[in-house]
Amino acid sequence: MERRTFITTALVGTACLALGVNYCSSDHLSVNAKLDDKHRLLFSVLLPVFLDGAWPDVPALKRDAENRTLDAIEHTISILPKESQLELEQLLDLLEGRLGLLILTGSMTPLMMRNSAELVDMLQSWRTSFMEMMVTAYQGLRELVMASYYSAPEHWSRLHYAKPNFLEEMK
Amino acid sequence: MAIEDPIVTGLNSGWAHINAGQLTENQTLEADVVIVGSGAGGGTAAEILTKAGLSVIIVEGGPLKSSKDFVMEERSAYPDLYQQAAGMKTTDKAIGIFQGRAVGGSTTVNWTTSIRTPEPALAFWASDKSVQGLSKEELTPWFEQMEQRLNISEWPFDPNRNNAALKEGCEQLGWDYTVIKRNVKGCWNTGYCGMGCPVNAKQSMLVTTIPAALEGGATLVSQAKVIKLAHHDDKIYAVKAQALDSNMRSLPVEVIFKAKHYILAAGAIHTPTIMLRSKLPDPYEIIGKRTFLHPTLLSGAMFTDPINGHSGAPQSIYSDEFVWKNGADGELGYKLEVPPIHPILIASKTIGYGQSHAELMANFNQLQVTIALVRDGYHENSPGGEVKLTEYGSTLDYPLTDAFWRAARRAYASMAELQFAAGANKVLPISEGMPYLGSWSEAKQAITNMDLAPLKTVVASAHVMGGCPLGEDRKMSMVNSYGESHYFENLSVMDGSIFPTSLGANPQLSIYGITARNATRLAEKLKS
Repeated sequence: MERRTFITTALVGTACLALGVNYCSSDHLSVNAKLDDKHRLLFSVLLPVFLDGAWPDVPALKRDAENRTLDAIEHTISILPKESQLELEQLLDLLEGRLGLLILTGSMTPLMMRNSAELVDMLQSWRTSFMEMMVTAYQGLRELVMASYYSAPEHWSRLHYAKPNFLEEMK
Repeated sequence: MAIEDPIVTGLNSGWAHINAGQLTENQTLEADVVIVGSGAGGGTAAEILTKAGLSVIIVEGGPLKSSKDFVMEERSAYPDLYQQAAGMKTTDKAIGIFQGRAVGGSTTVNWTTSIRTPEPALAFWASDKSVQGLSKEELTPWFEQMEQRLNISEWPFDPNRNNAALKEGCEQLGWDYTVIKRNVKGCWNTGYCGMGCPVNAKQSMLVTTIPAALEGGATLVSQAKVIKLAHHDDKIYAVKAQALDSNMRSLPVEVIFKAKHYILAAGAIHTPTIMLRSKLPDPYEIIGKRTFLHPTLLSGAMFTDPINGHSGAPQSIYSDEFVWKNGADGELGYKLEVPPIHPILIASKTIGYGQSHAELMANFNQLQVTIALVRDGYHENSPGGEVKLTEYGSTLDYPLTDAFWRAARRAYASMAELQFAAGANKVLPISEGMPYLGSWSEAKQAITNMDLAPLKTVVASAHVMGGCPLGEDRKMSMVNSYGESHYFENLSVMDGSIFPTSLGANPQLSIYGITARNATRLAEKLKS
């Protein structure tokens, strides 16, 4: 595989605040690309692993945070330069197909059928891999998820961070 | 009372601004001088040339955004104001690059640090890079002129806690440090410079030279991406640009610019990209090569007291203790500074995920971050990177060399020593595999043995330089010491791409001062 043919990008995200529909459903064991061209189901499986400990504890708030993050990821992908978009789409398509999963994870089991420990093992194996493409896959997804989650002011309460409000006060 | 937006006021008063994204037909525009890019070089040149009585068109690929759009949120600032939504990376993804992409260029989003070109850099350029007329004495009046123009002066207030830690560490260890000069006027000390100044205190090109040029009759064309220069023999005869929509996607509208003289000021990635795409003569294969980044390493530290690194002037102290320690072309030196600490920046530029990352973010306000900017381009094992054309644009291929990794190890040690000296409880070098380190002695040993590698070690850059170097020897330069093309009589380059090496200092004031000198000379030539 060529050096640049399969490298995901690293991203910094934005979010649009409209609450999307939660596509995550445990009934789905495989992804119908036509029904999920935004890869929401795939990310809904990965978010709990990446954001373990960062999510709100209250289930309703957690669901809202997940939807917000999925929206932000979708928006971020839409504004990427063409080259980065193609690289990322290639990775996501591989993760949604059995052959791609076999190449990337050594197993054809769909990600949504794997438990948290198995998903952590998968991320750790990429993270510590000696293969550049595995590390870039991990880092691209990691940065996309982290940037998208922390782009939303609603997710800053654990940080005790808030932007100054003088602009609003001056209006 | 709301903050007045000088861009809105100016546009209402009749400034000539064309948003190419709203054009429905191809256009041809003419002027004495066409300037490609509106950052530190383009903005400075535009004001000087307009004041000299020349008609000027400024062409900018990014959008025209102003204080009404600067809402102090990373989620809108990054896609609106940065190249690739602040997600630009080198070819192998090992270095993240922050570069502006809006009217004002990187000056719209930089952290205001203003430093004159260090003397060892100027001396190296004179001795090794055939540069003439850029000694400290010769440049001093130009720096003074631009410092006055942009209100550059030493920050008179206490540093925020993030910068204070850098100062305290230096004091404890007897290391050199300097209070930073900033280009601000009436700064509110909020800490959001990197998202566009919401109160127009930062004296960026957006609120200084570009308004002055527009007031003097210049025309600004935004959202017009320059594709190439048309040339014949020793003359450029047109610049061809493509209109972009608000998402920076190409539109089927072309804008052609014609002028007596053309200035490339699109920054050290895009100026070489335009030159390569235009197939300009390059007998010594110089264009795009020797591109430098000040590749930067990060070290986090946890303090007991609040650091609140998001609040207050982002940079007000730096240390040059290690920049030139081994001579200009000896082992690579590094400058110590701090960055502002905001959620996306920190979440994405740290390591790990899940519980460990959540814990780091939960201690966000106790986190101090020190950065080490490695001075590249002097040592023989520090040749920098190369801008290369791709199917959709260009990429910067920048291999990190052994000399860089040796500097990185020294830099991590210096940062940890400094952070413990400043009172840190624990220090976290931002590189895969490194745990929190509880003392300087523990850190010293761990850093000596730590694994350093591309992608595993977080490396970032906010300073892109080189790729179209100046000098008198054609074998090592594309433009002369006045930024004039060696091959075209009506083409100049005025941006960070002309630096033959990195600077060992934040670049904006170097670009302002050298451009002021070179644009003044160009104005005299064009008027004579």
